[in-house]
Amino acid sequence: MFRKILIANRGEIALRVMSACKELGIATVAVYSEADRHSLHVRFADEAICIGPPRSSDSYLNIPQVISAAEVANVDAIHPGYGFLSENANFAEVCEASHITFIGPSPTMIRMMGEKDRARAEMGAAGLPIIPGSDGVVPDEDAAKKVAAEIGLPVMIKAAEGGGGRGMRIVRTKRELIPAFLTARAEAEQAFGSPNVYIEKLIENPRHIEFQVMGDRHGNVIHLGERECSIQRRHQKLLEESPSTALDPGTRERIGRQVVEALRKVGYSNAGTVEFLRDASGDLYFIEMNARIQVEHPVTELVTQVDLVKTQIRVAAGERLDDAVGSFQPRGHAIECRVNAEDPDTFVPSPGHITTFRVPGGPGIRVDTAAYADAVIPPYYDSLVAKLIAHGRDRAEAIARMQCALDGFVVEGIKTTIPLHKRILADPDFVAGKFDTHFLEHLASVEAK
Amino acid sequence: MAKKSKLESRGGSEIRGVDLVEVERLLAFMEKHKLEEFEYEREGIRIRLKKASAHAGGAIRVVSAAEIGRPEEMHAAAPAPKSGGAASRGSAAAAGADIHLIKSPIVGTYYAAPSPGADPFVEKGARVEPGQVLCIIEAMKLMNEIESDVAGEIVEIFAQNGSPVEYGQPLFGIRPQSKK
Repeated sequence: MFRKILIANRGEIALRVMSACKELGIATVAVYSEADRHSLHVRFADEAICIGPPRSSDSYLNIPQVISAAEVANVDAIHPGYGFLSENANFAEVCEASHITFIGPSPTMIRMMGEKDRARAEMGAAGLPIIPGSDGVVPDEDAAKKVAAEIGLPVMIKAAEGGGGRGMRIVRTKRELIPAFLTARAEAEQAFGSPNVYIEKLIENPRHIEFQVMGDRHGNVIHLGERECSIQRRHQKLLEESPSTALDPGTRERIGRQVVEALRKVGYSNAGTVEFLRDASGDLYFIEMNARIQVEHPVTELVTQVDLVKTQIRVAAGERLDDAVGSFQPRGHAIECRVNAEDPDTFVPSPGHITTFRVPGGPGIRVDTAAYADAVIPPYYDSLVAKLIAHGRDRAEAIARMQCALDGFVVEGIKTTIPLHKRILADPDFVAGKFDTHFLEHLASVEAK
Repeated sequence: MAKKSKLESRGGSEIRGVDLVEVERLLAFMEKHKLEEFEYEREGIRIRLKKASAHAGGAIRVVSAAEIGRPEEMHAAAPAPKSGGAASRGSAAAAGADIHLIKSPIVGTYYAAPSPGADPFVEKGARVEPGQVLCIIEAMKLMNEIESDVAGEIVEIFAQNGSPVEYGQPLFGIRPQSKK
């Protein structure tokens, strides 16, 4: 088992990884930018090293600085968290070359899943249902026209190297196709350094359903159930839950089996999430895979009682899944609300000085956060302030506990999405489990009336 | 034990606006309650006492009112993580306003000389020119030469040979002097 791990991240996920390390008796090393000098992850680590000025590119994304810190602190492994360098295959390779274990999938897997069109092709070949679409990157306008004609409009143009909703364009008419194709390429180039795009059939009113997986270094892969993440704004998840009200046990079992088979075939290891869109008729289509631990992992942890981060560390150290995870039984229902430092109506970011920070508790409530009263949320990083997760015997209890917890979560000094979450939890369609990825838009327009 | 002697050796036991007896009382308070870090603000002066690693000893950093961005309330922090920068930062801040600090631009291991056993690049009192190599910081098996960006005299060397340094950590204090 590792003696010492460096966490190449900040905020709540850095604290999360540090907890897992402490439980395993592993010493922790935090890295931080000058903007995070007073952060909790710095204060609670066994050692802390300043690696740069506030900007991410100069600090948390600065591979030489992170590796150098790992060497100076003489760590055995690095956990990259999510975001930042977690899906940077080059970083994973540099770790390997420096004889530091990268706690995550292999560079090959990261690369495969990072190139979205390639992931689609590989997973399709491995047996997962994929959305009808182009055979890889669409190189030019003629090819775009051909693909669109083959699969039929409406289509979605997506950046091959991207994510997060950028470099994406919806095309409903033939006239829009080429202008959208060119704009998507330009945006993709800007955001991800590559203009490559691929085209897929547009699934109208989809539900976003993802499966949590875990593999060891001995060829074993399991899935730990699904999460529903349809409550999104501009492709950014806001609320997640497990299990999905849209999946019947038969579909869950079938897709789960296909996912495990596909990942065994390609040789996947460590944590990952396989994302699907479910269309109106109930069919699931693979869209992409995230080769890392995800923000919403606590939802699965509360339902399965499996500590996913500790498991990541254990399989990275060579343990078999049978030992690292053992058997588990999904129990009850969990919901996560992302509390972001944003205006709940306009979503304008609201960094600043937190004056009051009262966190809820009680049965079935978990809060993952690095914020505290008197902390400053800096403007340089993402707006996540806290993750509030509620678990109950069933969905109704989880919702009731979440509503109570939201009422008891007092944050002053910055704006947060707490008021919006209260509205979501009170919405009859949400409570009935009847929604898709357009839910938040509808919520906003209903209130505008 | 705290490096109080460093301040006293500057010729006198006074720092403008600070009662050293009070600082000693705060240090005793810290010892008694086994605190690693302690911050205190009053009448425009903010005092932050932080215990660094055992061999570097404690360091006192006195911040004048002009340097305070935002008033902070008195609080005792949880045991602070070991950070190589603490001692070096502490004594660097006490160095004075006319001293130009050379800070590390990278994380790595500080070496005072080009190779083991060789003479150090510079010693205290040495005159340096812009572009002159002051030390090496080794990062990822590469030796990075750190150069002075001013002309002047080395009045303080904060980093210890062979020890790790972090981004922004003060390495040298130079009293700038124009060329004659």
